[in-house]
Amino acid sequence: MHRAIATLLLVAAPLPAAAQGVLRGTVRNTQGEMLVGASIAIPGTTLSARTDRLGLYRIPLVPAGTVRVHAGAIGHAFVDTTVALTGGDSTTLDFTLRPEPLALPPVDVVSDRVPHFGDRPATTVAQVSERELSRRAVTTVDEAIDHVAGVQFVNGQVNLRGSTGYVQGLNSRVLMTVDGVPMNQGDRGGINWDLLSVDDIESVEILKGAGSSLYGSAAFGGVVNVTTRDIPTGLHARLRVTGGMYGDPPHAIWKFRDTPGLLGSGDFAASYGTDAWGGRISAGDRHSDGYREQDQDDHLHFAAKARWQPSVNTRVDVSGAWAVDRYDVPLTWCSRGTCDDRGQVFQPFMIDTSGRGARTDSRKGYLAAQVRTTVSPQFAWSARASWLRTHFVDVRRPTSEFGVGDRFGAEGRIEAHPAPLRTAIVGAEATYSDVTSDIFGIHSQSEFAAYGQSEQQISAVRVSGGARVDFLAVDGGSLTAVVSPRVAATLNAGAGTWRASVGRGFRSPTMAERFVHTTALGFDVIPNPTLRPETGWSFEIGHTSAPIFRFMRLDAAVFWTEARDLIEPRLLRFPADTAVRLDSVKIQLQNVVRARIAGIDASVIAAPIPDRLIATLGYTYLDTRRRLAGDTTEGPLAFRPRHLLTLGADYSIGAGSVGADFRYASRPERVELEGFVDSRRVPVKVLDLRAEWRRGPVELRVLAANVLNYIYNLVPETLAPVRTVTVTAVWSH
Amino acid sequence: MRKVWLAIVVLAACGGLEPEPICAPNLVGLCGTLRFRGTIPDSTDAVFIAAYLTLPQTCNDLIDNRRPVVPGSVPYTDSAAAYSVAIDPGTYHWIVAVWKKLGNLTISPQDTALLRVAGYYRNPADSTQRGVVTVSNGPAAGDIDFVVNFDSLRPATDFVTCTAQ
Repeated sequence: MHRAIATLLLVAAPLPAAAQGVLRGTVRNTQGEMLVGASIAIPGTTLSARTDRLGLYRIPLVPAGTVRVHAGAIGHAFVDTTVALTGGDSTTLDFTLRPEPLALPPVDVVSDRVPHFGDRPATTVAQVSERELSRRAVTTVDEAIDHVAGVQFVNGQVNLRGSTGYVQGLNSRVLMTVDGVPMNQGDRGGINWDLLSVDDIESVEILKGAGSSLYGSAAFGGVVNVTTRDIPTGLHARLRVTGGMYGDPPHAIWKFRDTPGLLGSGDFAASYGTDAWGGRISAGDRHSDGYREQDQDDHLHFAAKARWQPSVNTRVDVSGAWAVDRYDVPLTWCSRGTCDDRGQVFQPFMIDTSGRGARTDSRKGYLAAQVRTTVSPQFAWSARASWLRTHFVDVRRPTSEFGVGDRFGAEGRIEAHPAPLRTAIVGAEATYSDVTSDIFGIHSQSEFAAYGQSEQQISAVRVSGGARVDFLAVDGGSLTAVVSPRVAATLNAGAGTWRASVGRGFRSPTMAERFVHTTALGFDVIPNPTLRPETGWSFEIGHTSAPIFRFMRLDAAVFWTEARDLIEPRLLRFPADTAVRLDSVKIQLQNVVRARIAGIDASVIAAPIPDRLIATLGYTYLDTRRRLAGDTTEGPLAFRPRHLLTLGADYSIGAGSVGADFRYASRPERVELEGFVDSRRVPVKVLDLRAEWRRGPVELRVLAANVLNYIYNLVPETLAPVRTVTVTAVWSH
Repeated sequence: MRKVWLAIVVLAACGGLEPEPICAPNLVGLCGTLRFRGTIPDSTDAVFIAAYLTLPQTCNDLIDNRRPVVPGSVPYTDSAAAYSVAIDPGTYHWIVAVWKKLGNLTISPQDTALLRVAGYYRNPADSTQRGVVTVSNGPAAGDIDFVVNFDSLRPATDFVTCTAQ
């Protein structure tokens, strides 16, 4: 232990200023265009940077002398070069990267919280670049990532490899972070996908599999890490306008309005920056008539970000966002007799008239500050503080419900590279959440955690191990401790990279799950304050191939999670105990399920016509099993399709490109509360088409989502989106 | 590649949700016509159809053995309405139209306070007797027609031996 502390102090000691210089420059492609979000790193150190919107990068504190530098960008070949740096001076190094669609993403920040260049992570990570985000012409993060292999959204709840299922927004087994700051709601644990506009986002990384060893609760099924745009030097502005139309129901008997539904949005962002500081503000407004009855949605958001570099090795970032929504809630579609059903068993575009007037008013926002100091090439520390607030009012007949939730978080972290082939990271995190609500009550939850992880490269094998311990307390009560260890290894072989990992994940029950007291489907939902954390062990073995036939690459993984104490709703019968009180049935969330989620996750990327055509395929096979406590019968977990397939293709020529995406999900074998809801459901088969044209500062995009107007639902009695055609114009300065 | 996308279009174009008329050919259950008589009470919340494999003997049977467990309402403001009910195959000995007063069901005998028998399917050959209907895996049992009389809403205890709520 003493030796470890001495090593840490040794690497923490800053090098003399004269022995350091600043490395700066640009990253372009072979056509001379600046590359945004390209990564530049000094291997074996904490020093790395990403290019801004101008393709510029800057790395301070680089040791003088001959330095090895790596550069790369998604879809471009990797560059490994050396440069001679003079101490106390600035050296310019410009890169030109060759397009290489099969190149692996250059930096993995998500899985280990420490940048690695050119190394493959030990768990499966999917990355969505800024280019992919803009090409999809979508407005929210969830729309942008639901084409990623193994990702499925079920009525707004994200599933990574079938992790969450659907629990009416009362929890999430996936953690979302924005620039490393956890963003799951304090009261319900869910994710506000529309808090940020896609215009504010530079990239999204999706870590599949248990991430609790570093990220704690909610990362039970994986992590979605959103990186917002950095602030470039100079003055920049961006305006985006979108207009569109919803398709009519494909059958006249389902028609519910005389004119088509419209949608539109406008977003504006402006930034100004110098080397020392910068700021960015953005605002946007969105309106949608909706694609079904009682489905109108109005959204307004503001976001701001500032950076300040008080010294060459310290950077401070402050960011925040605020969004206001008012949206109608089409609670359930109309079943026979609950509306003018026109002789139909159900009317998916109309609503049950008992839910008429239902809507939700929602306000949410966050404020975060982070500071990072690179003390030396071998040592850096960072700290952050954040506050997330959500406020909703569900207007229902005859009563309304409300909830105000806060989540305060703080974290400190140290990164060290005591040797060129060894890294270590330690950190501590504290979270305090509270809720005031007429359905959740007034409660608070505290979480304290400490974590550490170390990595060592041994020849072609990179081994990592670490653990996190979390202490949880509800309403100031006694602490519950959960330990989440993880070990992993990658092997670089000639034909690709093998990876394997074993880790324990957990999820603390949300305050909503513990204390909810409301009515659903006509039944009382009663609280269960004694809920325990869900836990599970996850295993994964995967392989990323070297290029096959020079034009394609394969990534495949076998995964297996054994979970205990999963929280699911149960119908309880309370027997008659007196002559006054008779039998009654209530719903309660309980730790009742042992579950297994196993499967195969595979993706293929191919570039059969270089610089023209890129095709992708993703396939996930899920085998889920649930066993109730005290019951030997088994069945599949609810809302998990056995097969998930995504296909994509993009063809570029000159300033234009066209693309298509297809998503298939097999019909889930089970839904919750079967027998009490209309269990009618079908497979998902959605085809999207898109086209794009760019000239100078102007981009035009057309997106036809669900172009075949395939009518389906993901949860009972709730219609999924129909054909939607949008045209987007973007002007950038 | 073009063939792949063509195959996708063909496959994706079919298999979604489709309109389902009452008494659809693929329905497993019952369908028919309800004729309404009398004045609809102001406290009416719903009218639904329930089926029992055997005549309930207790209040618990009334609730537990009902199929479907939570039926949907039929439209009752016209003088007649077509209806259909999806239920498991079997021979049903009591098919009943249930009037529901405003209030939440708890799926317990307490529910009997909110429910009244508004009519039931009768034997076509002897209208004094209950009709028996066999639901098969094939097409639905059709022509299960009967009268709902809002002026004669009867408590379940008229038919079943249990304590009225």
